[in-house]
Amino acid sequence: MELTIYNSEDLTLVRERRSVGFRKGVNPLQFSWSGTLIDPTSVELSFGDAEGKLRVLDTTFPHDKPQMLYWNVAADEAVSATVEISYFTSGIHWSADYVAIADREESNLDLDGFVKIDNRSGEEYQQASVRLVVGEINLVQKIAELARIAPQQVNELKEEEFRQLRHRAARKAMAPAPMAMMELSAGDGVGMAQSQPKEVAKEGLGEYFIYTIEGRETIPDGWSKRLRSFQAKAAPMETVYRYRQPQYGDRLTRLYLLDNAKESNLGETPIPNGKVSILRRDDAGGLIYLAEQQIKYVPIGDELELELGENPEVIFELVPKRVYRDNIWMRMHKANIYKRVDDGHIQVDHRARVEGWDEHTLYEQRIRNYTDKPIRVEIRRAFDGDVTFKSDLKAKAHDYRTVEFEAEVDAGERAALEYQLIVANGYNAKQNRVEIVR
Amino acid sequence: MQNRGFPAFGLFLALLLVAVDGWARVKLITLPVRERVEIQLAHADATLVEEERVVPLVEGANQVDFSWSNTSIDPASILFRLVDDTAGVEARVLSVSYPPGENALVWDLWADRAGPARVRIGYRIGGLGKSYHYRATADVNESRLELGHYLRLENRANERFEDARIKVGFGEPLEREVGIAETKDLLLAEYRQVPITKRYTADLDEHGYLDAAEKKLRIPMHYVLKNDQAHGLGRAALPFGKARIFMEDGNGGVAFVGEDWGRFTPKDDEMALYLGVARDIVVRRTIERNDAKQINGNLYHYDVVVKYEIENFKERSVVLDIVEDVRRIRRDLGRENGRAIEWELGDQHTLGGLDDERSGLERLVFHQPLRPRPADGEAEKVVAMLHLRLKNEW
Repeated sequence: MELTIYNSEDLTLVRERRSVGFRKGVNPLQFSWSGTLIDPTSVELSFGDAEGKLRVLDTTFPHDKPQMLYWNVAADEAVSATVEISYFTSGIHWSADYVAIADREESNLDLDGFVKIDNRSGEEYQQASVRLVVGEINLVQKIAELARIAPQQVNELKEEEFRQLRHRAARKAMAPAPMAMMELSAGDGVGMAQSQPKEVAKEGLGEYFIYTIEGRETIPDGWSKRLRSFQAKAAPMETVYRYRQPQYGDRLTRLYLLDNAKESNLGETPIPNGKVSILRRDDAGGLIYLAEQQIKYVPIGDELELELGENPEVIFELVPKRVYRDNIWMRMHKANIYKRVDDGHIQVDHRARVEGWDEHTLYEQRIRNYTDKPIRVEIRRAFDGDVTFKSDLKAKAHDYRTVEFEAEVDAGERAALEYQLIVANGYNAKQNRVEIVR
Repeated sequence: MQNRGFPAFGLFLALLLVAVDGWARVKLITLPVRERVEIQLAHADATLVEEERVVPLVEGANQVDFSWSNTSIDPASILFRLVDDTAGVEARVLSVSYPPGENALVWDLWADRAGPARVRIGYRIGGLGKSYHYRATADVNESRLELGHYLRLENRANERFEDARIKVGFGEPLEREVGIAETKDLLLAEYRQVPITKRYTADLDEHGYLDAAEKKLRIPMHYVLKNDQAHGLGRAALPFGKARIFMEDGNGGVAFVGEDWGRFTPKDDEMALYLGVARDIVVRRTIERNDAKQINGNLYHYDVVVKYEIENFKERSVVLDIVEDVRRIRRDLGRENGRAIEWELGDQHTLGGLDDERSGLERLVFHQPLRPRPADGEAEKVVAMLHLRLKNEW
């Protein structure tokens, strides 16, 4: 028996192989699924190597026995064949989760990945080989292709038609498991004790990734089972502090960063989305709980970000120090004439109005590091309007309205990063972007 | 739920010596003793418990069954670690199974030989809450404090923790037993002879008037502790907590003088503890001048002079902190326009030094020293001016 479980859809493809002896003539084969979530319209029968000798004459769903069907199979001669029954069921899910334990110095991280399979399908799957599909299967697109309609019309399909197309699309998306794998797992039978954690083989398949769990699993109905999918020991990582309001909120967030790459003892597979528990070892070998977060799918080569939240030992304050205005332009009464106030000899016109001005604000970005390690702080700030960012900091533009700069602060030290923001207002505003000047 | 013959609360670790047929879960059960337990409180919101047990393993496959009831353990947080010093037995976790409808899980382990394995099981637990509080006793001169820093541990987790090592993220762990439904106050640190300052503050925006008609301000008093080593503190941030404040009465006893919430105070920051309102320092605040100077059209500079008449009726000198919110001044004069405030100090300004560290763009802090009242004389009336020029307003 083989289960292919999708985590983006409530869909599991089940393939059962059974040895059946057929006598010459018509052989009735009965299949029933009482109390399960099997979709009856998805049940298919095939004959493997005996395909030429056997054929299904008809399939009957008896009205008096729900959740049952039988096939009439015609055999040209008496034959013993391995038949495959495949169907879709719902109620089986899998999810990924992770435990990340940093060392005391926060330079390395042990990252354990797990997969957890939940069986709520109403059926006990015994000694099944299990394949997990990582990634979103784009069934809508495939359903649309099968139905020869535009993808946006998929929702308009009739329920029955949609379900059938969905199943066909899912079958098409996943190639059948190679027979070699089935043979490999055949030796791992009942009563043979496993001595090593099971290997979870990972292979790419088009846009998807398949996790194949070594050997066979029995997952009774209602139970869940969690297995390790990978283990990265002492993966080198970096600790940074980031201020990026849209991403992490209005606070300085501490992050552990590591690459999903060979250098980090990872990189074998994408890291599927899932929950990460983040802990750190203390001096006595105990654990300190740091945070828990949902991570998004991390492709091979990309960066894994573990967000730890604020560190009360690092104080981050933006202090405006001074404001002044200049380059003030007045619009003279009853004329479309603008005059600059400090241009000297402009006459006082009681009915003139301020129409344009530059506002200068001097800021001090204060960082106090009370931890026992130097820290790296990366800051991104976004500004609206016609803004000049003036500073001796090595600032650079992240985008047209966002300035990025960073600082290193030694253990126990404080830093004050100074910059001036000049905002052109009213008549003076000619742009909507930040210009960085020294 | 299966009846395992255990009492109906608490945590159980059961070992099922099973080689095959693991799903039946009705086998020989032993209860490995909890060797030690650690309660980790360093996280602001979550409590992590890690317990160590010695589990006798058989060679080959083993199942370790962990279940709980009436205890709010987050099942997703449960961690199982084999401690390295396990005497010769090499064991590993093969998988974890979660039975339906139970607060339980089963670890499938494999051991290379029979023998004891030392394991640590960690989990986040609800109901084991903490808070901090302080007991501060000032000397008669109000220049030094004896400060006790306490942890209050409230055990509503329905679980007893014997000889628990309690860690708060700083200092040495405390070893105590924490019984079911117990509340424990634990002394975390004792700081002796902590130098303090007594601060008097005139801040209309925050503390308002004592007598609005007379324009007399409410003058709160605080003890100010600086959380740094120079002041005998600075080992770690001081967490938020209630502070009870006492004062030596000079006759060997102490008097309770009030309580306040001490805010979270990082190293180098100050914790100010409110003591009440001073009656011996009288501050009258009036706006003496409000002159507009037209620059052109609707563009103006404004000269605003705030006058303070201050009397110190105490027989000792004090420093009064005068705090002004520039935006409030502009609003009170009916000129709020939503723009940032460009200001400078004018030539009539006489108020004491501006505190750069504590002042911001719109909130200004000045220190005004006040001489003591002579023992047999009248208090001196100090008149000080804050002259602000609000520039380029319209």
